[in-house]
Amino acid sequence: MESFFTRYRNLVVLLVVVVAQMVGLAVQVRRNTSGQSTLNTKDQSGVRLIRLWANAIVSPPEEAIHFMKMGAIGLWENYIDLRGVKKKNRQLEKTIGRLRLEQAELLEDARQGERLEALLKFQENYVYKTLPAQVYGTSGSLGSHVFYIDKGSADGLKRDMAVITPDGIVGKLQDVFPHSAQVLAINDQTSGAGVILMPTRIRGILEGNASGQLEVVGVLADERIKPGAQVLTAGDDMIFPRGLPVGVVEKIAPDPERVGFVYVMVKPAAHLNRLDEVLVITSTKPYFSAQAKQDIATSQALDGTKAASLSAQQRNALINAEDLPTLLEPNVPADKQPLFDSAPPALPPQPPQPVHPDIFSPPATAQGGNAGQAAGTGPEQGAPAPITNAAGNGTGKTGAQAVPRRHR
Amino acid sequence: MAVIGSSLRRDLEIRRYPILVYVLVPLASLVLQAWLPRELGRFAWFDLPLVVTVYFALGRRSPIQGTVMGAVLGLFEDALSHRAIGVNGIAKTAVGFMAASVGIRIDVENHAIRLLLTFLLSLLSSAICIFIYRVLLGLEYKWQWFTELFIAIGNAVVAVMLFPLLDRLQIKDY
Repeated sequence: MESFFTRYRNLVVLLVVVVAQMVGLAVQVRRNTSGQSTLNTKDQSGVRLIRLWANAIVSPPEEAIHFMKMGAIGLWENYIDLRGVKKKNRQLEKTIGRLRLEQAELLEDARQGERLEALLKFQENYVYKTLPAQVYGTSGSLGSHVFYIDKGSADGLKRDMAVITPDGIVGKLQDVFPHSAQVLAINDQTSGAGVILMPTRIRGILEGNASGQLEVVGVLADERIKPGAQVLTAGDDMIFPRGLPVGVVEKIAPDPERVGFVYVMVKPAAHLNRLDEVLVITSTKPYFSAQAKQDIATSQALDGTKAASLSAQQRNALINAEDLPTLLEPNVPADKQPLFDSAPPALPPQPPQPVHPDIFSPPATAQGGNAGQAAGTGPEQGAPAPITNAAGNGTGKTGAQAVPRRHR
Repeated sequence: MAVIGSSLRRDLEIRRYPILVYVLVPLASLVLQAWLPRELGRFAWFDLPLVVTVYFALGRRSPIQGTVMGAVLGLFEDALSHRAIGVNGIAKTAVGFMAASVGIRIDVENHAIRLLLTFLLSLLSSAICIFIYRVLLGLEYKWQWFTELFIAIGNAVVAVMLFPLLDRLQIKDY
């Protein structure tokens, strides 16, 4: 037996090492009820020790290399290559001024949107708290699109937090270590995000393919989907907030496995292969920075000015309204107003009696108001008389109804 | 007598290195493998831990050492990725064993042989990885043959450049 192990010790060691690793793999991979194998994701609260060890061994020198490189770049950019900085600074200051104005306007829109959302009881928010982080390394494997950032659980990061850049989404946190974290990029095969194709609002799932390109799968063929269309996050994956830019449609290709479906190739908005700094969305609760709060206060002050202006307009309108004709006499007590006159109103005059009544003529009934008229009518007065008031001014209004216009 | 002569010849050709080299070179390969793809993007067609595994396996001519070196580096590579731990480990274990086994039989000083050997062992490593993912584990794993080919070519080129540099680190008896 001893000679057997001595003779074949190389093969024995090989077998032992391989079998041990296969057992390790078998522990990690599970087969679900539908017959598909998945990595064991039952306990996602922690990190496997071997990953922690690997990270602890590889990350410090990797970070050191990265920061040495950044230091060299900083030395060059901050001390050596300073030509034209003043001119650039002036341009940037102008840009900042313009952007602040735009930001104030956008914040006002955001506040309005927030109020509307509260009315509709929507639980989504669009102002987020983020934590900037430096990217210092990758997994080193082309088949595994993950990278490492220099912030970890000590900075409040947790698994499945979204990672973005100002250009667009980048990925989500996979494993979080004390002072670093692993980010699963959106172009990895195992990554997934709900997206909307604009302007058609067709929904799909964003995945990475074998060559690290982004593609939206599960999309029915639709001729309205054109290259150049914007792709935004849908917000239904509970990781990426709604409306963040993902990229633009680059190409549409038929899905060879499913008739009627297409692959939509997407050019990412963020430079996934050249990331330096990223933002981790640590909270989706509304958050305003000090500058934003100041802008909001300014905006509210502007609202007060607008309100004052509206009030002045209303006052002027009231003053003008007083100049218009009215049924009320301002200098007469309320009970003496002509409108409250208890005397019976003058009845309108009756038309003269016809000389030769016919079937259309009204019956000749004697009424007090027009008795004189009826008595005094003759053939020469047969023409209809104008309706006159008691004063006979011929305006068609009674003396009680007409109030002279008051001039100020 | 022939056996003794052969054994002596083999022993003489076994390379020895300072302990630090056994630690620092594999560590450097892991660190650079993790750092360089960030700088090179998707053109990082090489696998430095595999190249280092092949180098030490060929130099030491010990299948056991090659096996252990490959297993350790492969496991660390897996641990740095988000995939199952052990796939690269098994692949590099096999590569280390094969490289050492071949190194006993042929002259590995020749650059052309080094280049060809690294190229073939890289392809073997890729094939084992794909086999484990898709057949053994039944996991969905998309791959492209030309990417694996480019990685194998890249490894061969890196090996030709790196091996002479690492040769300088060996302990010489004279």
